[in-house]
Amino acid sequence: MHEMSIASALMDQIMETAKLNNLVKVEEVEIQAGLLKQVVPDVMQAAFEAVISGTIVEGARLKIIEVKAEARCLSCGQVFEPKVDNFLCSVCNKADVEIIKGNEIILKSLTGKNLEEEDKNES
Amino acid sequence: MKVNVIKNVLQANDIIAAKNRKVFKEAGLLGINIISSPGSGKTTLLEKTIPTLMPEQKSIVLVGDLETTRDADRVAPYAEEVVQINTGMSCHLYANQIAESLTELELNKADFLFIENVGNMVCPGEFDLGENVKVILLSIPEGDDKVAKYPTIFRAADMVLLTKIDLLGVLNFDLDRVMEDLRKLNENVPVIKMSSLAGEGMEEWLGWLKEQRNKSIGNQAKFITPE
Repeated sequence: MHEMSIASALMDQIMETAKLNNLVKVEEVEIQAGLLKQVVPDVMQAAFEAVISGTIVEGARLKIIEVKAEARCLSCGQVFEPKVDNFLCSVCNKADVEIIKGNEIILKSLTGKNLEEEDKNES
Repeated sequence: MKVNVIKNVLQANDIIAAKNRKVFKEAGLLGINIISSPGSGKTTLLEKTIPTLMPEQKSIVLVGDLETTRDADRVAPYAEEVVQINTGMSCHLYANQIAESLTELELNKADFLFIENVGNMVCPGEFDLGENVKVILLSIPEGDDKVAKYPTIFRAADMVLLTKIDLLGVLNFDLDRVMEDLRKLNENVPVIKMSSLAGEGMEEWLGWLKEQRNKSIGNQAKFITPE
């Protein structure tokens, strides 16, 4: 259930970004989740809903973009797509790799309203 | 309006972890993050390891548990200092919990800082604490399917200890299967077959610890390797 910890870290960054951009309401949050981080979308969604409750993010849509893993073999240089349980190089059959992609969770964008837009909306 | 961000979500934790790593280096400490499921022998390993390292090398222990100070009480007679971190509902330690504990300790008194993480094979793997090495324990009673079931944590391992190895003949555990699953994840990770209680593998484990400390601390080493 590391999704809960990820969701609270995400929430800190959302609030920081919202403040920096004078957002008073957040409507959509887009994140990139590397497949190696093993984020379960349904669990992430539930954790997200728990942390946004009672904040300016409440009711926002969470968009999760899954990013495939990519690794480079340190023995032969081959770039390949490893599986979570198999990092054997497709050429030399050794699991000695450097991860290029798929091991990160990134806050990509926020969509929301600043005070001006919110006022316009209400009038 | 849409705001593009591109920010690592776990950045706050990673920044503190990097600071912890620097503190360890300056204090001449090797930071060891010990991860396993509950009951695979993390505390017993420490109870046997720390007194065997003494008197040449001394240890500080940080213990993470949801509740109680039982593990801290067990290692307290051997360690220079022990801090129990109760995580409440959290199933892993965060770098900031380590950073806070470090401020209370006299780090120069020790050579090794063992961090016994909360018993869990999933979440601790995602949170860097600033350790120099991650040691993963897999005990024989847990079964030979665990490497395949929890691959992420084993891929991140710098050392795998197969604990309670004295039960190998008693329980149905296929050692080859474990080694095969492990090699699919991590070609180079060393594996030691251990029984903390019977002493098997202890010498190899201590040798590895000292080697890692020399590698990470370099000529700042406090202890003198025995002739």
